[in-house]
Amino acid sequence: MPSAGERPAVKMGPAPAGEQHRRATEDPEVMELAFEGMDKEKAPSRKRARTEPPAEGLLQPVNLSREELYKEPTNEELNRLRETEILFHSTLLRLQVEELLKEVRLSEKKKERIDNFLKEVTKRIQKVPPVPEAELTDQSWLPAGVRVPLHQVPYAVKGSFRFRPPSQITVVGSYLLDTCMRPDINVDVAVTMPREILQDKDGLNQRYFRKRALYLAHLAYHLAQDPLFSSVRFSYMSGCHLKPSLLLRPHGKDERLVTVRLLPCPPLDFFRPCRLLPTKNNVRSAWYRGQSCPDYEPPTPHYNTWILQDVALETHMHLLASVLGSAQGLKDGVALLKVWLRQRELDKGLGGFNGFIISMLVAFLVSKRKIHTTMSGYQVLRSVLQFLATTDLTINGISFSLSSDPSLPTLAEFHQLFAVVFVDPSGRLNLCADVTASTYNQVQYEAELSMALLDSKADDGFQLLLMTPKPMIQAFDHVVHLHPLSRLQASCHQLKLWPELQDNGGDYVSAALGPLTNILVQGLGCRLHLLAHSRPPVPEWSINQDPPKHKDAGTLTLGFLFRPEGLTSVIDLGPEADKPEAADFRQFWGTRSELRRFQDGAIREAVVWEAESLFEKRLIPHQVVTHLLALHADIPDTCIQYVGGFLDALIQNPKEISSTGEEALALAVRCYDDLSRLLWGLEGLPLTVSAVQGAHPVLRYTEVFPPAPVRPAYSFYNRLQELASLLPRPDKPCPAYVEPMTVVCHLEGSGQWPQDAEAVQRVRAAFQLRLAEVLTQEHRLQCCATATHTDVLKDGFVFRIRVAYQREPQILKEVRSPEGMVSLRDTPASLRLERDTKLLPLLTSALHGLQQQYPAYSGVARLAKRWVRAQLLGEGFTDESLDLLAASLFLHPEPFTPPSVPQVGFLRFLYLVSTFDWKNNPLIVNLNGELTAEEQVGIRSSFLAARTQLPVMVIITPQDRRSSVWTQDGPSAQILQQLVSLAAEALPILEKQLMDPRGPGDIRTVFRPPFDMYDVLIHLTPRHIPRHRQAVDPPVASFCRGLLAEPGPSSLMPVLGYDPPQLYLAQLREAFEDLALFFYDQHGGEVIGVLWKPSSFQPQPFKASSIKGRMVVSQGGELVMLPNIEAILEDFAVLGEGLVQAVEARSERWTV
Amino acid sequence: MVSRRKKRKAGGHEESIPSPPGYSAVPVKFSAKQQAPHYLYMRQHRVRQGTQSTWPPDRTLFILNVPPYCTQESLSRCLSCCGTIKTVELQEKPDLAESPTEPKSQFFHPKPVPGFQVAYVVFQKPSGVSAALNLKGPLLVSTESHLVKSGIHKWISDYEDSVLDPEALRMEVDAFMEAYDKKIAEEEAKAKEEEGVPDEEGWVKVTRRGRRPVLPRTEAASLRVLEKEKRKRARKELLNFYAWQHRETKMEHLAQLRKKFEEDKQRIELMRAQRKFRPY
Repeated sequence: MPSAGERPAVKMGPAPAGEQHRRATEDPEVMELAFEGMDKEKAPSRKRARTEPPAEGLLQPVNLSREELYKEPTNEELNRLRETEILFHSTLLRLQVEELLKEVRLSEKKKERIDNFLKEVTKRIQKVPPVPEAELTDQSWLPAGVRVPLHQVPYAVKGSFRFRPPSQITVVGSYLLDTCMRPDINVDVAVTMPREILQDKDGLNQRYFRKRALYLAHLAYHLAQDPLFSSVRFSYMSGCHLKPSLLLRPHGKDERLVTVRLLPCPPLDFFRPCRLLPTKNNVRSAWYRGQSCPDYEPPTPHYNTWILQDVALETHMHLLASVLGSAQGLKDGVALLKVWLRQRELDKGLGGFNGFIISMLVAFLVSKRKIHTTMSGYQVLRSVLQFLATTDLTINGISFSLSSDPSLPTLAEFHQLFAVVFVDPSGRLNLCADVTASTYNQVQYEAELSMALLDSKADDGFQLLLMTPKPMIQAFDHVVHLHPLSRLQASCHQLKLWPELQDNGGDYVSAALGPLTNILVQGLGCRLHLLAHSRPPVPEWSINQDPPKHKDAGTLTLGFLFRPEGLTSVIDLGPEADKPEAADFRQFWGTRSELRRFQDGAIREAVVWEAESLFEKRLIPHQVVTHLLALHADIPDTCIQYVGGFLDALIQNPKEISSTGEEALALAVRCYDDLSRLLWGLEGLPLTVSAVQGAHPVLRYTEVFPPAPVRPAYSFYNRLQELASLLPRPDKPCPAYVEPMTVVCHLEGSGQWPQDAEAVQRVRAAFQLRLAEVLTQEHRLQCCATATHTDVLKDGFVFRIRVAYQREPQILKEVRSPEGMVSLRDTPASLRLERDTKLLPLLTSALHGLQQQYPAYSGVARLAKRWVRAQLLGEGFTDESLDLLAASLFLHPEPFTPPSVPQVGFLRFLYLVSTFDWKNNPLIVNLNGELTAEEQVGIRSSFLAARTQLPVMVIITPQDRRSSVWTQDGPSAQILQQLVSLAAEALPILEKQLMDPRGPGDIRTVFRPPFDMYDVLIHLTPRHIPRHRQAVDPPVASFCRGLLAEPGPSSLMPVLGYDPPQLYLAQLREAFEDLALFFYDQHGGEVIGVLWKPSSFQPQPFKASSIKGRMVVSQGGELVMLPNIEAILEDFAVLGEGLVQAVEARSERWTV
Repeated sequence: MVSRRKKRKAGGHEESIPSPPGYSAVPVKFSAKQQAPHYLYMRQHRVRQGTQSTWPPDRTLFILNVPPYCTQESLSRCLSCCGTIKTVELQEKPDLAESPTEPKSQFFHPKPVPGFQVAYVVFQKPSGVSAALNLKGPLLVSTESHLVKSGIHKWISDYEDSVLDPEALRMEVDAFMEAYDKKIAEEEAKAKEEEGVPDEEGWVKVTRRGRRPVLPRTEAASLRVLEKEKRKRARKELLNFYAWQHRETKMEHLAQLRKKFEEDKQRIELMRAQRKFRPY
């Protein structure tokens, strides 16, 4: 006893800290010298750069003088350039990486404060008084203010415990390695329990963990009395329920600076290694389950590993220190990798691929010479990602140990016991013991994506790789919440997971996780690209509370990433009936498996799912998951919240809830294809048709609500009999909205075309007339010709055929100078014609091709467009610009893969809109991959040079590389900013709703526009809103719109493009656009929002050209013009007579 | 609020409705139901000396701020008490042209959506203009005896008007093309007549007429020829033959790297200001 008391406690070594400190001070000194050198060389440019920061967040073209560009390079400059080329692959990337590392690194000042705090912590731990020995089951000595941070089940256990001050206190983990990163500054402190506390056989039956918890409880009670700490709380070490830790936070202004985690551990050589091999059993069945005389004791590999982890804390620390200690590049690499993992939610919780594992992986690769100590952080990042992308640790595990010691387990033995294998130098400890195959597959998958991104050398690679978060709801196509977690106890029972429960200390969530994911992976089969699961956040709790239960961990959330081609299959084919595998198939699928005879004569087991439309096929995984979880894991569908198609309701026809419209769009496209063939084959035209091109959103699958074939009920209409047309009747609700679909029809070249623009228009008109005659004569189609187009009714669809003469835009551009020189100048008419007859068909064709390649494009584009219009901003954006925004999610999905379902695509659309830097970047949508990397660089340079002449939103495509034709007329800066704000608000709301395990609630919340920002609201009567059924909140009842339910032939042209709200808005904008902006949702909106332009309320001197809607008043003896607001408000009602229900003027919002 | 007080005052003292200098202000409402009127600002149409106008100066009334629901017919009816009206012309902007515009085809120039417009009203006698300038109003655009369509009724009527007769379109096209062909033929005949005729100095202009196309005298063609010449000349140059050429190439490369570096630094500065380097 006296000798034990006299044993000197080993304090935290001064040498490592001092050495670390000295080494740390060297680096700033070196950097400072380099900085001074650079400063001396580049003083003039640096000074100018410093005094001219980017103005208002806008990039300016670089303005280096010729002298600066072409002066002789210094050795310093040459060395830096060469270094950049070798260690990074571009200067931009190097600068970005350096800035990031600055941001996440701890500063020296903070390190000093942390070091001081650690010294104090060490002192106070040493002063905690001892406790006499007591039986483990006798815990009456514990003070009332603290509870044991461990569920002690079963409670009865042999052995005794007494508290003695720790024999050693050592800082371990990333802090000393200088790879500790903000914002979570955690310092791990290993507290070695003295040998006399531990007894033989403490490795059995959780005795070690009981002592560990009691040791921690006693420490907690006494440290909580100390005013040094603002907070003393329990937590779990890496989320492991058997291994609590104690969190200490400083008092005062340093409260948020750091969290110190106390981790009790045994003396290094206490446990005999042979007893902790993963193949050994250390939780006796007799003790755990009360089972007497079991024939077989299953191994407890996880339990054993958790003890080994504590034993190896310092050993691993020394290994990492020896490898990383003097290599700044390696440390930088670890820091970058930690950021990479964090952005992908891979590093947290039990089984997370955490910073420790990634550090050990770096050390492993150094030992294998795959990473060299002279590498930069970027190179280390790249090397590790390359390794992860190309190695499958679920099949080919790795080990530090080179030993062929027969007493150590082989990698094959490790693979039998663990899903992922990464063995430490001792040869006994699997560093990835808690990592599931799913988590590792996710890491691997992300590494593959990241390597592809790095290899592409994209300019925004840094941003996508390290700065873009990838939350589960945005990264995965479907998400499933399993709630409550206590249900997994029944799953363990059904799956007979007694050995796993025994091994996991009763943590049924961890025990069930692997088997559950395996079942789902097998069931989803070739539909599934990747399955991921959430890991519960590591809880912390007060020391006077019991620790949280397993079921308190919240929700288990699974993410599914699908193969697009797998989503179209409705059959899961099994083996042939006479094969032995058939029984396994039937056992796996239960009653859903049926014997079927197929056309090739084979009789096989098969599962057939009920799905017809693309919408239903996309939700087959829902059926699979629900069925298998109920069958094999006793999880009823009431505990399953499947989040895959909630948003689809926004693009569904209320009458057709079993589809999201892809089938209806395809029907219209097929009709268009038929029409094309008719046009190609016409014989009665003077010139033959050389091309037929679609130019309407329907024909590129991006019309929000697809058209349906129409057949008018004639009694609903007036009619113009001689012109075979129907007219709306004022005494009836307005007819259904039938929008003609534009088709551009090119004719073969001919020398007979005139050279005068007006004459060309007449000739085109003649062709439109002739086209109508020929279609009627040859194909009995109902046609209506005008000067600019021919409307054709075919199978209930109306197409608007525009004849195009390819030289007409050029004729419109021709300007002849007095000398006779002909030059080409763009005019509004020529640009519009070129856009409508050349660029728009090209775009429609390219996007049609995109839809063939990515079936989810239609759903995503239409959902995004629906949302923009629902926010009343649709008028500010062309159809085409919104279609291209959606297309960019598929063509440039990094850091994701192209969406497979509308839900995830829409979330990324909101993210893109709310985060894209429209001021400083064009959005490049590389249709068909026609733009090379070099061309894209040139486009960005041109963009910067011409920024002030370009629209606020610039979208570049291969056919439109400079001017961004689809955003020339909008949005304005104000409208774009509003869109960005609304998207930034909607995204977190929607994500929170979709991630709620109890259900998303009202999914339409983010679609309802805010009305409080408008000065006047004009309420419309639904009777005359033809698309009222398309409203965000569909009406319970609706009006007859003059269509028969069954489509059929019609001899009269339906009412085309008649939309009273749109006609009303056209009048409002024409009359009042100087004074106000008008906002409306064309899809059944019932309210028009009016926003006065503040500038219009300024008194203005009289000018004949700008008196519209104003009146002259005398102000201070001076005659000025002011808007005649009261008359205008009455105009709103007059112009909209019959349509307008009420004009709600919020006059408190403005003053004249 | 200010306008309400102003209106009350105006109601009490009709003489004091403010108006721009030289104009007379006349209130106008769509119908009797409306409370707040717009104001037509009228004056006699006059032209500056030296310019010609299509409107007879002493018999034309010029009106500003004509509301969108005011049609030619309704305006004519409102002003008919001032005298016999010969024509009413509504335009988007005051007339600056000196020559009368040709009548526009309804097929190729559809009627635009009306906003606030200006009007030229030609009376039979100058006294009509004087009487109009003394009107008190308010003028009513739509009355029980002369209803003016607005809202649903107007849109349906406009839709009916937009369904055009293809036969009428055909006739207009034929007439236009006939006139166009005649004009082209005349130009060709004139050019043919001038062929071979010497000018005052005795020179005969030589012109080429035939099916084979010649290089057009266009800006683009000139630029293209120049570009071709430049490319031809560049192809003949030897590259990297002289030491100074090699050094210059390396220097050019270095300059590009420097420029890129400065661009990158500016971008970094911007990203730092936007807190783009904080991954949390």
